[in-house]
Amino acid sequence: MAIRALCVAMVAVSIGWGFQKTAAKGTSTLEARLFGSWSLPSEAMRVISPGSAGTVVAVVWQRQEAAGVARVAEARSTVRIERKPIRMIQDPYPTLSAVAVDMERNEVVATDENLFQILAYGREANTPPRAAMTEPQWRIAGDRTGIEFICGVYLDVPKGDIYAIYGDVPGLMHVFSREKQGNVPPVRELRTGGDLRGRGLAVDEEHQEILLVSQHNSAVAAYHKQAAGDDAPIRLLQGDRTGLANPHGIALDRRNDLIFITNHGQASTRSTTGVDLSRLKPNIPLGGKLAVPGSGRFLPPSISVHRRAATGNESPLRVIQGSRTQLNWPAGIIVDERRGELFVANDTGNSVLVFRADAAGDVAPIRVLKGRDTALASPVGLFLDTKNDELWVANYGNHALTVYSPSAEGNTAPRRIIRTAPPASEALMIGNPGAVAYDTKRGQILVPN
Amino acid sequence: MAHPQIAAFARLAEGGKAPVRRIEGQETLLGRASHAIVYDEIHDEIVVPQGFAQAILTFRGAANGQERPIRVIHGSRTQLKDPDPLAVDPVNNEIFVPEDNRVLVFAREAEGDVAPIRVLRVPDNIRLRIPGVFPAQNLLVVSGSPSQGERNNQLLIFDRRAQGDARPLRVIGGPRTTLGDDVGELRVYHDWIVVAHTVTGKAPADPSWPAVSVWSVHDEGDVPPRWSMNLGKIDGVSVDVKSFDLDPKNRAIVVATGRKPNNSVLTYSFPELFEGRD
Repeated sequence: MAIRALCVAMVAVSIGWGFQKTAAKGTSTLEARLFGSWSLPSEAMRVISPGSAGTVVAVVWQRQEAAGVARVAEARSTVRIERKPIRMIQDPYPTLSAVAVDMERNEVVATDENLFQILAYGREANTPPRAAMTEPQWRIAGDRTGIEFICGVYLDVPKGDIYAIYGDVPGLMHVFSREKQGNVPPVRELRTGGDLRGRGLAVDEEHQEILLVSQHNSAVAAYHKQAAGDDAPIRLLQGDRTGLANPHGIALDRRNDLIFITNHGQASTRSTTGVDLSRLKPNIPLGGKLAVPGSGRFLPPSISVHRRAATGNESPLRVIQGSRTQLNWPAGIIVDERRGELFVANDTGNSVLVFRADAAGDVAPIRVLKGRDTALASPVGLFLDTKNDELWVANYGNHALTVYSPSAEGNTAPRRIIRTAPPASEALMIGNPGAVAYDTKRGQILVPN
Repeated sequence: MAHPQIAAFARLAEGGKAPVRRIEGQETLLGRASHAIVYDEIHDEIVVPQGFAQAILTFRGAANGQERPIRVIHGSRTQLKDPDPLAVDPVNNEIFVPEDNRVLVFAREAEGDVAPIRVLRVPDNIRLRIPGVFPAQNLLVVSGSPSQGERNNQLLIFDRRAQGDARPLRVIGGPRTTLGDDVGELRVYHDWIVVAHTVTGKAPADPSWPAVSVWSVHDEGDVPPRWSMNLGKIDGVSVDVKSFDLDPKNRAIVVATGRKPNNSVLTYSFPELFEGRD
């Protein structure tokens, strides 16, 4: 059967070559279509023999010359093949990107950027060292949820609402109800658009606002807390003076009416010169199409501190930045208003850095939680449980949530650990790979995020 | 995404097998949303775009951990706006970067704030996307589509050295090509043009046949592909190709997917593509 299919395929290919030689003499018809006027014949293709797995479907087509008079019938076949993969690399376990604690219900909620789900565990769960993993108490997952590449979470505890943002889909924020678990749609959807793909999320209950951080366009947009559908933001912070540069995490300091933003340090300038501003949706970040060529910048990583209600191209009040800070792809960030401290999940530093909340410039952290015993691995999400005085960390690199005293430092082991995978299983950290390359020298597959 | 990186997996890795190395961290200058990566076999280098900072980064082929790129093209003279896909011609030492209706061509060894060595332009209404180069015949292939209205992709084939308002030598496009809306990836291997169709494209011409398809660089007009390999289903869902690359030695194609299946790398045997072209 295979030999028969191959023979048919070879005939088909030779027909194809025959066509190619003929067609090469003709007018460059598609070129005419792009650069001039040309219309395609209405007839598209006619199947001569039905195709099935591993067989050939022959196609007859007609070519119409630009003058619209001569029609030349030619034969051209496509060899159609169906294959299954011979190997597949895929992390079978959750990759944890954000964490929040429901202090009333004694639950911890985590987001999984790999398998597209929201997971809930008992707050006091602690995976035994030899256990394979801890199963969640409940989860929200499945095709009806719309969850993809989920990277941020906020819990509205009194209402039982779960706010979720996605880092790499065309701009959505979803609100799920804790009362509806499993494969359920969100109870509310806010369509922010592709230029406001969220990366960081904070909700300001006092002012009833949602704050979304746009990684792609180095901006922070504020919405009414009840925003839904295509509602526009009420405020936008974006521009070269803001100091925002590939921002990730956001933290609210309610006591001092501030926001803190972690920045990886890359940005480019936007310009609206020649743009009909009436066509732009209010307060949506200016996207890459409005980037000024050659204006890109590489800056040191930073924490920029802004007025909570900062708007437009407003400068930060201060910036924590420099070699003493140890910042290395800073991600999640929280403020401990009681102690006046700032906690930063330092992704590639495999550490949690603690600064004075009023720090500025090139300052060293006042504490660093780092080391083999900490079980920190690419930490990206943080939450401070003020009721139980615990610091929670979502580790992107090892499928684990880890819990510490907020005053922990050095190589301190976590109080508890919730593993979502067997011990010592390293997360692949593949995140919506938009490219792949094969390293022929080393026989390796290169996968960027 | 939470964590930018270039992860390197062993060719035979499967399941949750961890990468053998990662390029990551502040020193690397990497950002998220890398929509291109090229391994340059001749010079043993890795080339990636950095869209947030409008730059092109080149790493040693063996780069590992928190390692700086060996070269960075970056600055006001570069004209880089939103570098996304790119192609490297390791024979003629050039890097091709489509930007809207232009292709910026840089010397492969360029570094810093340098101007392109030439710029190819097409009419304003055409958005160029993914390039590929066939050095042996001095051909540049770029996928492109009208930026407004009609969305079907075409494959524009230029002389590699084309610049200014040079016209394509020939064009492959039309309903019979089934190129549809979204060309997810493009590679030129010898005289084959290999293109990924995607399921999540806004209007793939044949959504029942998500595939990698192959044309000759000599093809022209509204012609169906010579080969079209359906990538099958995983857990009942058609594989949605975001990108791919070729492994000629093992006669395979390596596919990356984001959503379907989620965050995965799949390897397919595709011996037909490499037959007689070693």
